[in-house]
Amino acid sequence: MTIAIREFRHTVLTKGFIFGAILFPLLMFVVIGVMPFLLSNDQVPVRGTVVVADSDGSVARAIEIAFARFQTKTETGIGSSTAAINDALAKSQRGDVAALDALSDITTTVEVTVRRMSIDDDLAGTRDQVQSGELLALVEVPATLLESDPPADADVSLLVPSNSPAKTTALFARIARKATVVARVERTGTDLAKATALVREPQAQTARLTSTGTKAKENLELRFMIPGGFMMLMWIAAFTSANQLLTTTIEEKSSKVIEVLLSATSPLELLAGKILGQGFVSLLMLSTYGAAGIAGLAFLTMLDIVPLLSLILFFLWFLLAYFMVASIMAAVGSAVSDLREAQSLVQPAMIVMMIPLLLWLPISENPTGWLATITSFVPPIGPFVMVLRTTGAVEPIPLWQIGLALAVNGFSTIALVWIASRVFRIGVLMQGKPPTPMELLRWARTR
Amino acid sequence: MNPIITNSTNEPAVILRSVAKRFGAVQAVRELDLEVQRGALVGLLGPNGAGKSTAIRMIMSLIRQDSGELRVLGGDALDAKDRIGYLPEERGLYRRMRVGEFLIYLGRLKGLPRQGLSARVESWLERIELPGVFRSRCQELSKGMQQKVQFIGAVLHEPDLIVLDEPFSGLDPVNARILISTVQDLHRQGRTIFLSTHQMAQAEQLCERVVLINRGEKILDSTTREVTQRFSPRAVEIEPLAGIQATRSALEAIPGIESVKAAEDGRTAVLLVNERTDPHAVMSLALATVPCRRIEIARVSLDDVFVRLVTEHGGHARQPVRGAA
Repeated sequence: MTIAIREFRHTVLTKGFIFGAILFPLLMFVVIGVMPFLLSNDQVPVRGTVVVADSDGSVARAIEIAFARFQTKTETGIGSSTAAINDALAKSQRGDVAALDALSDITTTVEVTVRRMSIDDDLAGTRDQVQSGELLALVEVPATLLESDPPADADVSLLVPSNSPAKTTALFARIARKATVVARVERTGTDLAKATALVREPQAQTARLTSTGTKAKENLELRFMIPGGFMMLMWIAAFTSANQLLTTTIEEKSSKVIEVLLSATSPLELLAGKILGQGFVSLLMLSTYGAAGIAGLAFLTMLDIVPLLSLILFFLWFLLAYFMVASIMAAVGSAVSDLREAQSLVQPAMIVMMIPLLLWLPISENPTGWLATITSFVPPIGPFVMVLRTTGAVEPIPLWQIGLALAVNGFSTIALVWIASRVFRIGVLMQGKPPTPMELLRWARTR
Repeated sequence: MNPIITNSTNEPAVILRSVAKRFGAVQAVRELDLEVQRGALVGLLGPNGAGKSTAIRMIMSLIRQDSGELRVLGGDALDAKDRIGYLPEERGLYRRMRVGEFLIYLGRLKGLPRQGLSARVESWLERIELPGVFRSRCQELSKGMQQKVQFIGAVLHEPDLIVLDEPFSGLDPVNARILISTVQDLHRQGRTIFLSTHQMAQAEQLCERVVLINRGEKILDSTTREVTQRFSPRAVEIEPLAGIQATRSALEAIPGIESVKAAEDGRTAVLLVNERTDPHAVMSLALATVPCRRIEIARVSLDDVFVRLVTEHGGHARQPVRGAA
C-alpha cells in the first residue's frame, strides 16, 4: 500500500494532472453552467432603421411584421423565459417558421423601423447612409425574385455597415429571405400557413418491439452518444493511467531506483503497488469526468437514461479493462530502457485496443448482434465492448452473456497480471537492447 | 555440495553452495561457495565484470541462481527483506522527490513505523554529514551526496545484514572516510556486513576477511591477515647509509639471503630470504652487518595479491554482453 500511495500522490500532485483531471472538468462544468447567463447578457440591442427596396412593398411589409413580433416579445418579457424557449421549439417543430426565427434571438432587444423604397429608386444615397452607420441595413429585392418561377441565380442583396454584429446581420439575412418567400407566396393567393402545414414532414415516433413484446422507446442520438461517451471515458481513464505506469516504470528503471525498491519489496508487491496506485489515479479521473457528465445530465433533467445498474456494471468493466491495460503497460515498461523502445512493443497492443473505438458505431447500432456478442468475450477489448452494450442496449443483454463476459475477461485479467508479474520480475533488472516478443514469452515461463 | 539444513541463529548470515549463474553465453558466476558469519565484515573483491554484482544480486534474491543453494539469514532473502540493507552498485533515486520523503518512503517499505521516522532520517543525515538536505530535492544534490543518501536508505532500518555493492566508488576521500567510519561503527554494533569493492586499499582497511573472485570463480577466501602472511614476499627492504654498491657483498654474505635486488636509484635494495630462514632474523643480522638509514620487512598489499592472482587466473573477466551482471 505504501507503494500505491506514493504512486498515487506523485501522479496526482502534479500541475499537469491537477489541471487535466480536476480543473478542466470543473472548468467545463462551470462554463456549461455560466454560458446561458453569459449569452443572455451579451446581446447587442438592435435599434434603428432598415430600408427595404422592392418592387411593390410586399417584402417590406413582411419584414415589418417580423420585426414587430420581436418588439411584442420584448415588451412582454418573453425573452428571459425558459418556457418561451420550449414553446418556440415546439412551434418550430410544427412548422411555425417565425417562431424559429424568434427563438434564435429570443433574448435580443429588437426595435427596428422599416422604411420602404422602390427597387427602381436611386439607392446611392441610401447606401452611403448604411456605410456611415445611419441605417442598420439596406435590403434590395429584385422584382424577378417575387415571380412565381424566380430565376435560380436571383438573390436578395443585404448591405450592412462594416461594424454590424454578425448575429444582427444573420438575423436580417434570415428575415429578408423568409419575407421574400412570404411575399412571393402571398402574390399567388396561397395561404402560407396552410401551405407550410401541408409540406411539413411529420416526426417518426420510433419504438422497438422487444422479444417480450413490450415497446421500448427509441432515441437514436442517445443510443449512440451515451455508450460512446461511457466507453471513451473508460478508455481515456484506463489508458492515461496505464501510460503513466509505463512512464514511471521506465523512469524507475533508467534512474536505477528499481533495484533499491526491489531490495525492500518483492517484484510482485512492487507491481501490485504501482498498478493499484495508478488505478486510484484512474478512478479519480473517472470520478471527476463522470461526475461532470452526470451533473450535466442532471442539469438537462436526463438523469434517468443512466440507470444505477449500468453504473455498477460500468465500474466492473472499468476495473477489468484497467487491470488488463495496466498489466500490459507495466510489463512493457519493465522490459525496455526508454520510451522509444517501448513504442515498438506497445504498438501491437495499441492496435488491438483501438478496435473498440472502431466498433463503437456497429455495436451501438446493434448491441445484441453477433459482432457485439462475440467481441464481448475477446480480451482485452471485451470490457470496452460490454460497456457499449450495457449502456446502449434498449433490450436487456442476456444475463448469461454478462456473466460469461465477466468470467472470461476476469480470468484473462488474472492471467495477464500473472504474466506481467513474471515479465516485470526479470525485465526490471535487465539492461541493453529491448527483448523480442519471444523473449518476453520466455521470461513469463522462467521460474 | 553439502546441503544446508539448519536454520539456527548460529548459522552463517550468508551461505552459498556451488551457486552458478549464466547470462546467455557468459558464465557470470560458477560453482561459488561462500559463507559470511554473523557479525563479520567480509569483502568481495574482483576486477570489473568478475561476477561480484551478480553474486550480490543473487544473495539479495533479485535474480535467481541457475543451480546451487543459497541461504540468507536462515532462509530466502525475500523473506528477510526487512532485516537486510542493500546498497546496489547502480545508484538510483527519484530525482524530483525530496530527500526526507524518499528516505521515509524507503523506511516505510522496510516496515518502519511512520511515527518517529522523520526524526530518524534527520538523525542519519546529521550523522553522515548531510545536514539541511531533508527538504532538498534529490536532483539538487551532488553525486557524492546522493550516494550518501542511498547509503542511509540501506541502513536506516538498522538491518542485521548490510550488503554494499561498491559503496565507495565515486566518492571523494573525505566522504569515503565518513562512510568507512560509519561502516566500522555498524560492524562494532554487531551487524554483518558484506561489501564488494575493487578498491583494495579500502578492503584492506575495513575487512576481516576477503573473498576474491575472477571470471565468476572464487580464487581466494581468507582472512586479511592470512592473505598478507600467505602472500608475503619473504623479503627485507634495506637502505644502507653507504649505498648499495658499497655494501652489496656484505649483504650477500648474510646467511639465509638468496639474492640482493638493488633498486634503480642505487640507494635501496630488497633482500630475498630463502624459505628456511626467518626474515626477522635476517633483518637483525643485516642491521648488525651494515649501518642502515631504514630497514623493514617487505609487506604485501591486497593490491599486489589481487593483481597476482587475477593474472595467474587468466586476466580480467569479460564484461557480459547483456544481463544483470
